[in-house]
Amino acid sequence: MRDKQHFSAIEDQRQGPQMSQNGKDKEGVVPVRKGLTLDEVRARLNGKTGKKYWRSLEELADTPEFHEMLRSEFPQQSSEWIDSVSRRGFLKMAGASLALAGLAGCTKQPDEPIYPYIKAPEDLVLGKPMYFATACPFASGAVPVLVKSDAFRPIKIDGNPEHPYIKGGSDPITQATLLDLYDPDRSQHVLYRGETSHWGAFQAAWRARLADKKASGGEGIYILSSTITSPTLAAQWKKAQVAFPNAKLVQYDPVNRDSAYAASRAAFGDYADAQYKLDAADVVLSLDADFLSSAIFPGFHKLARDYANKRRLDGTTEMNRLYVVESWTTTTGLKAEHRLALRASDVPAFAAALAGALGGGASADFNGTDDAKKFLAAVAKDLKANAGKCVVIPGEHQTPAVHLAAIAINQALGNVGKTVVYTEAVNPLPTIQTDDLKSLVADLNAGKVDWLVVLNANPVYTAPADLKFEEAMGKAGTIVHLDSHVNETAVLAHWHINSAHYLESWSDARAYDGTVSIVQPLIEPLYGGHTAHEIIQAMLDNPDLSAYDAVRENWRPALSGKGDFEFNWRKALHDGWIVGTAFQPKNAAGKAQIPASAQPSSDALEIVFRPDYHLYDGRYANVGWLQEIPRPVTNISWDNAAMMSYGTLGRLGLAEHDVVEISANGFKVKAPVFAVPGHPDNSITLTLGQGRSRAGRVGSGFGFNAYEVRTSAAPLYLTGAELRKTGDTYLFYVTKSHYTDHRAVFVGGDGSGTHSLEGNEAIDRAIVRYATLEEFRKNPNFAHEGEGREDPEPDESLFPAYRYDKNAWGMSIDMNACVGCNACVVSCYAENNNAVVGKHQVGVGRIMQWIRIDTYFEGDLAAPRAHFQPMLCQHCENAPCEQVCPVGATVHTPEGLNTMVYNRCVGTRYCSNNCPYKVRRFNFMLFSDYETESLKLMRNPNVTVRSRGVMEKCSYCLQRINAAKIQADKQNREIRDGEIVTACQQACPTEAIVFGNINDRNSKVRKLKEQLRTYGVLADNNTRPRTTYVAEVLNINPELADGLEA
Amino acid sequence: MAIKEPLNDPMLDPVTGEYRVIAPGHTFKSVTEKVSRIVLTSHTPVGWWGGLAIAGGGVLMLMVALTWLFLKGVGIWGITIPVAWGFAIVNFVWWIGIGHAGTLISAILLLFKQSWRNSINRFAEAMTIFAVVCAGLFPLIHTGRPWLAYWLFPYPNTMNVWPQFRSPLLWDVFAVSTYATISVVFWYLGMVPDLGTLRDRAQSKFAQFFYGIISLGWRGSVRHWTRYETASLLLAGLSTPLVLSVHSVISFDFAVALLPGWHTTIFPPYFVAGAVYSGFAMVITLAIPIRKFYHLEDLITIRHIDNMGKVMLVTGGIVAYGYWMEVFMAYWYSASRWEYFMMWNRMFGPMGWSYWVLITCNIALPQLMWARKFRRNPTLMFIMSFIVNTGMWFERFVIVVTSLTRDYLPSSWGTYKATRWDYMTFAGTLALFTFLFFLFIRFLPMIPMSELRILLPQAKIKAKQEPLPEAGD
Repeated sequence: MRDKQHFSAIEDQRQGPQMSQNGKDKEGVVPVRKGLTLDEVRARLNGKTGKKYWRSLEELADTPEFHEMLRSEFPQQSSEWIDSVSRRGFLKMAGASLALAGLAGCTKQPDEPIYPYIKAPEDLVLGKPMYFATACPFASGAVPVLVKSDAFRPIKIDGNPEHPYIKGGSDPITQATLLDLYDPDRSQHVLYRGETSHWGAFQAAWRARLADKKASGGEGIYILSSTITSPTLAAQWKKAQVAFPNAKLVQYDPVNRDSAYAASRAAFGDYADAQYKLDAADVVLSLDADFLSSAIFPGFHKLARDYANKRRLDGTTEMNRLYVVESWTTTTGLKAEHRLALRASDVPAFAAALAGALGGGASADFNGTDDAKKFLAAVAKDLKANAGKCVVIPGEHQTPAVHLAAIAINQALGNVGKTVVYTEAVNPLPTIQTDDLKSLVADLNAGKVDWLVVLNANPVYTAPADLKFEEAMGKAGTIVHLDSHVNETAVLAHWHINSAHYLESWSDARAYDGTVSIVQPLIEPLYGGHTAHEIIQAMLDNPDLSAYDAVRENWRPALSGKGDFEFNWRKALHDGWIVGTAFQPKNAAGKAQIPASAQPSSDALEIVFRPDYHLYDGRYANVGWLQEIPRPVTNISWDNAAMMSYGTLGRLGLAEHDVVEISANGFKVKAPVFAVPGHPDNSITLTLGQGRSRAGRVGSGFGFNAYEVRTSAAPLYLTGAELRKTGDTYLFYVTKSHYTDHRAVFVGGDGSGTHSLEGNEAIDRAIVRYATLEEFRKNPNFAHEGEGREDPEPDESLFPAYRYDKNAWGMSIDMNACVGCNACVVSCYAENNNAVVGKHQVGVGRIMQWIRIDTYFEGDLAAPRAHFQPMLCQHCENAPCEQVCPVGATVHTPEGLNTMVYNRCVGTRYCSNNCPYKVRRFNFMLFSDYETESLKLMRNPNVTVRSRGVMEKCSYCLQRINAAKIQADKQNREIRDGEIVTACQQACPTEAIVFGNINDRNSKVRKLKEQLRTYGVLADNNTRPRTTYVAEVLNINPELADGLEA
Repeated sequence: MAIKEPLNDPMLDPVTGEYRVIAPGHTFKSVTEKVSRIVLTSHTPVGWWGGLAIAGGGVLMLMVALTWLFLKGVGIWGITIPVAWGFAIVNFVWWIGIGHAGTLISAILLLFKQSWRNSINRFAEAMTIFAVVCAGLFPLIHTGRPWLAYWLFPYPNTMNVWPQFRSPLLWDVFAVSTYATISVVFWYLGMVPDLGTLRDRAQSKFAQFFYGIISLGWRGSVRHWTRYETASLLLAGLSTPLVLSVHSVISFDFAVALLPGWHTTIFPPYFVAGAVYSGFAMVITLAIPIRKFYHLEDLITIRHIDNMGKVMLVTGGIVAYGYWMEVFMAYWYSASRWEYFMMWNRMFGPMGWSYWVLITCNIALPQLMWARKFRRNPTLMFIMSFIVNTGMWFERFVIVVTSLTRDYLPSSWGTYKATRWDYMTFAGTLALFTFLFFLFIRFLPMIPMSELRILLPQAKIKAKQEPLPEAGD
């Protein structure tokens, strides 16, 4: 399956640094109990050549020290060595690398076949990609993915379209794990006290320690892991727990599910996950649940898809209505028909009052503004009217009280079993993580911890500030740290082990519905990384069992049930999931008791902690795509900011970019402030994940570290923060202009200064068109009536129109379905080798996005409505760019694509000036990275890496179109509808983007374009864009309709 | 115009009654000596060396800026998306505009028999050429891949590709290159009789040889003069449409585009008027120090400055009409929301200050030139010439940059901030212009002796009797 040759480049890379650093003496650094180190072997062989060398090698090979070394270095082959006959075979196999590479560790990987998905070429056909199913593990449920592999290099990650739960689509983080794999700053060696060491040395030390601790049952051995997502790892741990009953496992992620678990334990007596079925819900209420923005919310992909499916107005479903109560501004809130901004501390009271009103609990008063009370009453009425067809979703970053209230309301309205079911928790070892971490810190401080093994976690950076984790950790005897980067924790650990990426190693994980996916590697570990499986397995009787074997053994019973295990195993790898492993609904008979919640005084300043949309808890800080691509809603790139409402900003006498010192409970952090439309007053949202000191070359030193004020008592939000102006300013960059409209009435404004200038203009210019459901029913043609909405006469151009005889490619984007999550943007970066330009260049205005999510805020910025408009090259039939290029570098194809000929471009940039959509991007300097080796492996070989001085833009994924055309030509047929999927379309979790041939009457895109709601942005310029938008329709509750103008 | 001076004004020719162009008391010999001495003297003025050194330093700075530019790319400038054109294009249009006065003076005024132009046409033409040199630099260096800029020319090539003739940038290439060619030929041809004079008067062997070569064997025969006059007229006829066409074509770069603020049919005439406006301002900027420094007050008289002031008033008026029309179109006539917003943004947007600089410098302050006293005061006119050229630079800035900062899609609005490299490049071209001009005044006759002689009373009186024996001296 895998030819060694293809890995030669990778092998070189892996060996290079090791070899270069192996030369120096490191005796005394590596603690060797019995075995030899490779260095010592080399030292003994040093200076011996020819026959003498081989004789010395033979002599050496019989020493017990060498056997020990061999066992730790080549666990699987060591048995062969002891048998002198097969030793020759082993030497033959490994001899060259042993001798020539100076015995510098070139592990022959055991044969662990992986199977291609669907298209299985006999052998590698260069230029023909293969697709493998695997899964991206994530604490909120794995994302089953289909990875495109070119010449055995994974080059693109997308949702598995056939997976029963995900059905294609993905999210920004999953997309960007590709760059995480090729991150040149990944940890490449095992380190011992900061010096390069090797895995064998660690294994020796670890096993020796385990052997010592065997008698005491593992007393003093603590494992601190990020949330364990792998059932196999959980099984391994359970076995280890039997062998070492006193060893302790603590799981901690700063973004965890403590509230949900606490609530489910209180309500049902056990850990449970709620699965919301939005396909059956006509009315959805989110209580601070940001379920439409990223994979951070459990079950995001399915929720987003089901939500969007109810908004397509194609007659198959009733349109749903979304209410959102939220404590900052999220894409979910902005997609809602009705949104109420409440401070986080008011949400529990709101939830309790709502539960009271709906018979889910004791009636309670909600002390809020009149608008909030009106909202509450209207929501209660609407939910009641739709009992059994509605659902209440509590936010992950809300207290257990809100979760309990949601459970109570869903129970009271008879939604359980219809729109929500409760299942077993998706994570195999659910716990209340903050409590566990606290007890770990207590044990550390008590000196009970002998070995602290940190698995894929970075607690020095992420632990709550009040626990003083760094200080406590110093009291552990030995600290072992397994992670992909030499991060804040790694530099304080004695041992650092470079971990293998999920695309490099075997594991398993469950999607949020419980379906198991086997995580199969796509590439040999670039830097020979190791996994948690190996470290935990070392505690067991058969310590050398590889992750591959462990996963196979774990699923052997399940896969042997029906038919042959090997067949079922291959099928599971091929398909990407194991059939029939989805969770069954649990009996959720428990009764939720909602604890009383006190509402703090409304002018006490509040801090809300949220994970960064892209960086999550900070672990993706070194992924350039995620840093650079502007976050949804705020459009901040490369930084984070203390977000607050315009009102609070004014009240505190601050201006954007002012640096303030925020202090709470004696902890302080300095942060620049930023006004966010729709943010509740007297509340500040801090996003986690920035301010890293050791993220790597890309991610260190941007933004501020919000963990510095986050305490274990209040990891979600806290009330009573102090804010002090420091007088400094800090420049962070926002990729979208944001002005408030101060124009007087006679020049087209309203003079209020409370509206967004861009938003007002976008509505006036008919860039965004929408109607209420009522209006749409009355006048389905609303998108084409009114000022600026008329379509131009078809032929007003000076130039003759093009004829499109065969294919005419076009795209339709459903503004009703787009949730503004950015998955398309990251996907585009990965597919088209887009360059990351860095913070300064983004600030100047040179971000290289081919597709962006234009966000327009409409109405009062205190309570705005927003519109998300993915904007990419419109491939105008009458393209303004084509007419002005002096060298004909941007040309029209017979299929209506507007293509860039990079080789011909001299870089006058006239095309960009003349593009009304400003979707062209220019390589003002050499933005593409031509140096970094690992990034070369990542690039899509079918897309040019653009050099300095050329213009670039969306090509509708021309390479994919051509691949499909070649395929169709070979089979002597037309291209089928749906055969070409653009990268943005593929990533879209809500199927908002549809691409196809508009000359084909039966194509999906043609049908969408024939809808009356379809309109072209700026089409009155007679550009005749090929990308069209389906206008939004809002299912407004008449009771809350507030001056909506459409 | 009410002339209040007494009739014994020395500038009034007592014989013909004409108002003189050059001060009385000059003869063929004195004019020739005065002009040729500047070139042929062996004592180079210290001030010239000083000026050349400063300008040379600026040229070195330009070289540094361009080297860095070629090494790093246009990203060292402040241009962005959406403002993909910045200083480079502003400077290009500004320099080309300045170049216009030279051609206008030498061609159109020649055809209109405005003989007062004779004192200033030579250095105005030189100014044109140096301005075109500076202007021509920008389209080349502003491209992302300047080493491929020759692809803009239609030349036969193995790639079998041709430029794209719908693009106004390509029209620019033809317009500017034609203009540069005609201007150089016209300028050089006009200099040939004077070069002959210099050859004949030169003392050093090298000067004799040098001027001998470049005077192309001029002997001053009647046949030479006839051919010379015919060629001058023909070239004047050729360049006259160019005065109108070059800046019209450059305005097409904007007018043909879709962008609000660019997409305007009024641009061609308004650009031409603006070009002449700034060109005359530059002639004044150059003429006033030169006449002072080289004591040429007799040859470049107050009348020249006065006349140029009048031309500026007229062209400034046309430009003001253009500005007014833009406002009128935007707010009242077109009812186009794009125009409306563009104009509001131009006046009151984040870069609105530049619009008011432009209005102040180009419309408000130049109204002072209605006063005859103002026009006849070299110091004030010198200051005014700077004001007008500042205003004209900002006019291009407003058109190019402010329009681009906020166009169709509000999400993509941006801003523009020039970097030190932008300023260095602009200042560097100013230095290059000055540097070339310094070389010109030292080595070539900056005032056409032969044409000036025609203006002398000597020429007119004797012309009625017999052919001039001194002609060609």
